[in-house]
Amino acid sequence: MKQAGSSDIFSIKYRLERLKRDSNKWSIFTLAIILFIALPVISIGVKLFAGPGETWGHIVDHLLPDYIGNSLFLVVVCSILVLIMGVSTAWLVARFEFPMREQMEWLLILPLAIPSYIVAYAYAGLFDYGGSMDLIFRWFGWDFIRIDIMNKTGLAFVLSISLFPYVYVSSRAFFLNQANNLLEASKMLGVGEVRSFFKLMLPLARPAIIAGLILVLMEVLNDYGAAQYFGVNTFTTGIFRAWFSLEEPETAVYLSALLIVIVFALILIEKWQRRNIKVSNSKSNITYIHRKKGSAWMQFFILLAVLIPVILGFFIPLVQLGYWAILTAHNVFNMDFLMLSLQSFGIAFITALITVIVATLLIYFSKWSFLGFIKSIARLGILGYAIPGAVIAIGIMIPTLAFDKWLINTLDYLFSIKTGLLINGTLVALVYAYCVRFLAVAFNPIESTSLKVNNTIPDSSKMLGVGNLKTFFKIEFPLIKTGIFSALILVFIDVLKELPLTLILKPFHVNTLAVKAYEYASDEMVMEAAIPSLFIIFTAALPVIFLNRLLIKK
Amino acid sequence: MKKLLFALTILLTVVSCKESDKKETTGEQEKNMVVNVYTHRHYEADQQLFKMFEDQTGIKVNVINSNADELIQKMSMEGKQSPADVLITVDAGRLTRAKEQNLLQAVNSEILDNAIPSHLKDMDNQWFGLTKRARIIAYAKDRVKPEELSTYEDLASDKWRKKLLIRSSSNIYNQSLLASIIVHNGEAEAKKWAEGIVKNMARSPKGSDRDQVKAVVAGEGDLAIVNSYYIGQMLNSSDPEEVETAGKIGLFFPNQDGRGTHMNVSGAGVAKYAPNKENAVKFIEFLVSEEAQKIFAHSNYEYPVISSIDPAGLLMEWGDFKEDSLLLSKLGENNKKAVLIFDEASWK
Repeated sequence: MKQAGSSDIFSIKYRLERLKRDSNKWSIFTLAIILFIALPVISIGVKLFAGPGETWGHIVDHLLPDYIGNSLFLVVVCSILVLIMGVSTAWLVARFEFPMREQMEWLLILPLAIPSYIVAYAYAGLFDYGGSMDLIFRWFGWDFIRIDIMNKTGLAFVLSISLFPYVYVSSRAFFLNQANNLLEASKMLGVGEVRSFFKLMLPLARPAIIAGLILVLMEVLNDYGAAQYFGVNTFTTGIFRAWFSLEEPETAVYLSALLIVIVFALILIEKWQRRNIKVSNSKSNITYIHRKKGSAWMQFFILLAVLIPVILGFFIPLVQLGYWAILTAHNVFNMDFLMLSLQSFGIAFITALITVIVATLLIYFSKWSFLGFIKSIARLGILGYAIPGAVIAIGIMIPTLAFDKWLINTLDYLFSIKTGLLINGTLVALVYAYCVRFLAVAFNPIESTSLKVNNTIPDSSKMLGVGNLKTFFKIEFPLIKTGIFSALILVFIDVLKELPLTLILKPFHVNTLAVKAYEYASDEMVMEAAIPSLFIIFTAALPVIFLNRLLIKK
Repeated sequence: MKKLLFALTILLTVVSCKESDKKETTGEQEKNMVVNVYTHRHYEADQQLFKMFEDQTGIKVNVINSNADELIQKMSMEGKQSPADVLITVDAGRLTRAKEQNLLQAVNSEILDNAIPSHLKDMDNQWFGLTKRARIIAYAKDRVKPEELSTYEDLASDKWRKKLLIRSSSNIYNQSLLASIIVHNGEAEAKKWAEGIVKNMARSPKGSDRDQVKAVVAGEGDLAIVNSYYIGQMLNSSDPEEVETAGKIGLFFPNQDGRGTHMNVSGAGVAKYAPNKENAVKFIEFLVSEEAQKIFAHSNYEYPVISSIDPAGLLMEWGDFKEDSLLLSKLGENNKKAVLIFDEASWK
């Protein structure tokens, strides 16, 4: 017995010593950043100890089965649709030469520029009574045809066509950079195109594809606007119901905790599934893929296949919005609008920059730290993406308000200075919240490009006595630049579209295009929402085209 | 590197602009020439009114636009430091909730006392109705005769099986309607009513009030329960198709032989810790002035709360009707009960 006890003590002592030996300033920096990001999540987590509200039983009895059923349905159907559209288009664009291929490369990202709730409104309007499709059917004399899109399946369709570019972007990056050597090898071994795609490329691209898919699923689980409008009860609509209609924030927190558990489970299942697969990339000669040029017919079919998702996810909503914009321009468009767009643009840009810096720091600090567990903890930083925007807003308000109040009292007590709230109701709180929410969006592209960087060059640089930071700027930064720029642009677009969190945290004087569009839409003036939506689309589309230029130049 | 420097310069300029913006606000606040408004309303008419108020008084109107639930949550978290002066919601239920959470304060204003009928404001003068909206029945003119319609209660009867269109129970107007039925008929009857309505639904609830009207015209059902001003907005829509659609339905004000049609208000209260209380009161008084009420009625098709002006134009055409004079604070008190009943009745 004694023996066992002493060995226990020994092992704790040993562990502590090891911890001391392996931890460095980078571990501390990493922990600091994670704490900064996790603070809102922790604030909400603490509330869990208060227990759910009295209607929890009511929710479990009457609503929960529906929430779980619908959310799972959306997860499954969206996964299938998004994988089919995202991976196939990425492969076709990366592997084959066809007319307009270069344009298609960036056109395929554009559906991301339209907020999914706007896509939902546009499609509902399209198939509505008196909507464009309805008028077309009437014109043909097919009065009997009425397509009802406002249901579960319609919602899955709308979310998929507006979110598939996440999978497209991440898998295309892999195909472009990694596929060439592998393809040449498989060709030499006499394996055909189709077989090498399914047997070789797909399994190898899996981490990249999954990274994109997880972003999609988090967005799907997080969607409020579209689900609410289509009358589909999901976890997120449930959170709002518990919080506001049933007046029980504690119950809402329970529901969101459950949602976070589900998302975490998804991530863990995926990790566990590929626990034994070690993808070792040949990094020595990264060559760009050689594109295949098929017959004219084949080229035509490829173009068609690639066009379909773009038409569904971008052009159809765009045309519908354009039509509405023409009808309502006289009411909506004025000088204030341009100012509003500039403001939106500025906020999104600042936030994107800050978020990308935080994400890069997090990835590299955890890399430079020798502690094994730091890396897994670093992934906690991306949890914010799974939490509904409104819940994050509250999570931000709890600690920042406490800090503000403390500051107000201290200043008053020590120096008799009277101030108002310094963080809340200012851009600081808003940008902080965006950063927490969208860190995952920046984290994934930067991490995946950084994993591809061969460690030998930075390692030898460090062996020659060059510090971590200098090595990063001289060697690693140029290599992961594309990842960083993709991250910048993705965060930028997401911030432009973000709604619930902005509504709660935005300061006086500040307004965004998304808020403006929502104001109209929630007043049942969906048509008037078209112009702000179009502005979001154009402001978001420009950097997408810029990103692609950058990639091509390289 | 140059690009990075360039970006940083832009960033700094933008941030410093924001800073100066902020200073301006504090300056204004010191002079007490501002009123900070948390509002759920975001109609063009409101912006027009805010502008008018600024021109008349020189008091700047700062607006935060959001869902009332979120605004209430925000105010309660901000506590004493809250910058909010006025809270405006689109229903009485949320105002009652704000009052229960101790976020509003009583206002003694002769103007408000005289202008607003007592059932349209809080007993303790913590909030005041600004505009009225009726929840009415829109029916397909070619399939339903108005003589067949009578009360809300009748809509739950078997004769309307699979004929009724109404939106989700998460909508506050439906919650208020059920709350009023709870007050008038009791909880048990209210539950029976909700179950009857669910049986009579032509489709699972979805979309907005306007969508219900469109579905009636498309033939998915014969009746829809909607708010009055949406019909007004559709009749004046920018989309000619929508105008035509709205022209094909008839309006019916239910319960005329009994308690009257269910009414709700959009209303305002002064925040408990309002830094600019005087301005807040002035602001609310302005919103019930004749000129302001006319704008509400003309451009947003809401009924005025003051009796000195007539509901103009379109509202005139719809004619007079008997209103349910239920104390509106009852709606807030019974809101949660209503939501629970909705869930039990599986009203999505």
